[in-house]
Amino acid sequence: MSKYLDLSIRELHELLVSGKIKPKDLVLEAFDKLENSDLNAFITVCKDEALKRAEELENADKSSMLYGIPIAIKDNINTKGIRTTCASHMLENFVPFEDAFVIDKVNEAGMIIVGKTNMDEFAMGSTSQTSYFGAPKNPWDKTRIAGGSSGGSASVVAGLLAPIALGSDTGGSIRQPASYCGIVGMKPTYGRISRRGLIAFGSSLDQIGPMTKNVYDNALVLNSLVGYDEFDLTSSNREAEDFTRLIGEDIKGMKIAVPNYFISDIVDSEIKENVLSVCELLKENGATVDFIDIKHLEHAVTLYQIIAMGEASSNLARFDGVRFGYSADSNSVDELYAKTRAEGFGSEVKRRIMVGSYLLSGDNAKEYYTKALQVRNSMKESFDEAFKKYDLIIGPTTTTVAYHLGEGMDDVRKTFLDDVLVIPVNMAGLPGLNIPIGFNHEHMPIGLHIIGNRFEEAKMYKLGSFIEKELNLDLKVKEENHE
Amino acid sequence: MSNYKKTVGIEVHCELKTKTKMFSNTLNNYGAKENSQVNTIDLAYPGSLPLVNKGAINLALKAALILNCKINKLVCFDRKNYFYPDLPKGYQITQARHPIGVDGYVMINVGGIDKKVRIHDIHIEEDTAKSIHQTDKSYLDFNRSGVPLIEIVTEADMHTEEEAMAYLTKLRELFVYADISDCKMEEGSMRCDVNVSISKDDTLGVRTETKNIGSISSVGKAITAESIRQEEILENGGVIVEETRRFDEKDCKTILMRVKETGNDYRYFPEPNIPEFEITDDEINSVKSEIPKLPDELRSEYRTLGVNENNIKTLISNRELCSFFEKVKEFDPIITSNLITGDILSYLNKNNLSLKDIKLNEDNLKELVKKIKNSEISSKQVKTLLPILMEKGGNVEDIMKEHGMVQISDDSALQTIVDKVISTNPESVNDYKNGKDRALKYLMGQIMKESRGQANPVTVNKLLIETLNK
Repeated sequence: MSKYLDLSIRELHELLVSGKIKPKDLVLEAFDKLENSDLNAFITVCKDEALKRAEELENADKSSMLYGIPIAIKDNINTKGIRTTCASHMLENFVPFEDAFVIDKVNEAGMIIVGKTNMDEFAMGSTSQTSYFGAPKNPWDKTRIAGGSSGGSASVVAGLLAPIALGSDTGGSIRQPASYCGIVGMKPTYGRISRRGLIAFGSSLDQIGPMTKNVYDNALVLNSLVGYDEFDLTSSNREAEDFTRLIGEDIKGMKIAVPNYFISDIVDSEIKENVLSVCELLKENGATVDFIDIKHLEHAVTLYQIIAMGEASSNLARFDGVRFGYSADSNSVDELYAKTRAEGFGSEVKRRIMVGSYLLSGDNAKEYYTKALQVRNSMKESFDEAFKKYDLIIGPTTTTVAYHLGEGMDDVRKTFLDDVLVIPVNMAGLPGLNIPIGFNHEHMPIGLHIIGNRFEEAKMYKLGSFIEKELNLDLKVKEENHE
Repeated sequence: MSNYKKTVGIEVHCELKTKTKMFSNTLNNYGAKENSQVNTIDLAYPGSLPLVNKGAINLALKAALILNCKINKLVCFDRKNYFYPDLPKGYQITQARHPIGVDGYVMINVGGIDKKVRIHDIHIEEDTAKSIHQTDKSYLDFNRSGVPLIEIVTEADMHTEEEAMAYLTKLRELFVYADISDCKMEEGSMRCDVNVSISKDDTLGVRTETKNIGSISSVGKAITAESIRQEEILENGGVIVEETRRFDEKDCKTILMRVKETGNDYRYFPEPNIPEFEITDDEINSVKSEIPKLPDELRSEYRTLGVNENNIKTLISNRELCSFFEKVKEFDPIITSNLITGDILSYLNKNNLSLKDIKLNEDNLKELVKKIKNSEISSKQVKTLLPILMEKGGNVEDIMKEHGMVQISDDSALQTIVDKVISTNPESVNDYKNGKDRALKYLMGQIMKESRGQANPVTVNKLLIETLNK
């Protein structure tokens, strides 16, 4: 039974500030639940550290809205002294000696890290089934996937094991599992949150973001994670802003666009219906909704394969068994490389490294990579055009609801197609937000994807919060599903 | 005499003289304890991201300006991917698409003839770690990992060993003068790869690359050895294969390292962690203004001042002496250059010292030059005084007093000596009167001897002529 962890951050904050509960109460409840959980959402839990920190925080300043709130961290974000595995045999015993930038931010805000969440190996996948530690489960139906690659983080939040989790999103890896698990997940604008300490997959696409139960919580967490990092050259240097500031404002006059491709036949009809009924809701409340075309959306998966895998093949070259991570016994350097990488990486990671290497080889670089960058740029310009006329773009986050564990693993293309609606956002460096908008006939969550112009997260939260309030869904997983 | 014409192109890597590494804040500290100058970026730890050293960009820009290159104002980097234990990231960050400088040239002079060596490009990259191989083990020192490098690539414009060596000497001279690199080949802060081909006509032959040659003179030897090897193959009906070789100093031969297969596949692509940026005209002008007088300019200036060629050569080849000379030359460049390249340099060489180790400074050297010019000190006295200045320092005037080097400039005192010498050397007086100039010199010498070198020669000369002509 949840005592506190099903409450919102604002409610928890009031209890903590008034002294009715202590941070330790939340930590103990979190560990009570996660130790009895069969979601396989965590790779590593850090109970001792969390309890120690909860005690330290008792006499600390309580003004931060996130003071004393437990948080789970995706296991590709470096945590000093706590192993960071990327769900890979390669890093099974890797303990970073520096915290990621976001971990500093998490600590500054007074949050308490309870553990490292399960994910696809090196964030490569859409189901979290490529994890070396086995797949996390969907709290709504434990025979189904939580999505990926931030599946563990989504499972933690939906399963009420912690109120907040951090995910990372290279081609939908926050938004897609958030949609599958019925939670709120934000991939902020590229550069919004420093990537220092995030173990790279596709460096030009990767972005860390918050995953929470509701929109307001999400905006609060984003407030704490942003800020200029002089040690990440892609970090944006902007004045501080409050991402909650537009929440509650009237949406009258907002101009919303829906790309035709996002409601084409690739999308499941139940999902399409739900999205269109949200469009009606918006119109009823004074917003305009237009159907538009954005260039190259249908090529998103191809672009992703070329760019993300090309970058990944290079980013993962450092795992050679020489300095850190898994190192196979061998008699020569070549054998060391071959054995370490053959044994240390799982098959999906190896497949992507090989595809990426092939795409960058010799003349292929021009034929594929350079061309992909051109198409990417053209897609970005097409989004820019749309944002001259519209405040926000919406559509479904996924083409289907979460499917059953084990499905799709034999069809590599299928898992990529899951992400066709979310990838364009990474390609264009835009922010993307998932909010739950309903359930299908099997009572599996359906998500709405809200896309904003660069650095307009506050506007997205405004719309998201409005829809959330109007729909007023019961997003609490039934406890019997949880046992 | 061979019928073949050699064609040579050279790639030089120079480590930049920066405080920190190219893509991290670790110190660029040659000679430090192994693996002590490293952080997570240099070791490519997961989650690390590169920074950009603006100082290194400015040094590379300076080099590109000195080599008369067109400047690519858009600075961006690329990844060159390959596996090697000394390359921690599995890729090197380099400039493949937009090298900072292109289409430059360097003027060399061989046998009195000026020649232009064209520079294809100059680009910025990072050094690898250092592998230390022992019989059964290899060790890696990551101190060098990420040290800023510039690579300077020439066109295939050189045709003799002398031209190649003159180019390298010139390049080193320029970079040392402009404070871009130490260019110490023995420490690896300058490294040369030489491409050599031979041909009987104007078409270029197949080239080989000889890597990491240890000194400029070895570059000459390597070119000779490699062109002879190629000629022997061609003369015996063989074909040259594109390959990478190394130079064996002991046997004076090039040795095969690896045959180049279908071209290396480095899978270049733009470095996503470093956003491209523009160098402004202001920045370029500010770097330009930092470029000191370079050797060619100094040479012609010194010639105009009347400094002899030997002294010029010595000064230019020793940057420390040259910049010292620049500071003290105003009063009399000829005397000053003689002192610096003569007694001072030989003292330094003998004692294995550099200028900063000795007490001689700008002020006392200038004072000494003044005294020499005004003939207030004899050359013999200079020989005594200079070592004192170098060892103990101090004021020239004081030292002269202390060591009884005070000149007799008092006319009456000198007149007595002059009269004495004239009266004891009637023959010479006679010779002088008969127009023999040598006699005057002899008499001068006698007077100086009589005064134990303390007579002011200018005054003596004046008095002697006056007395003789009475």
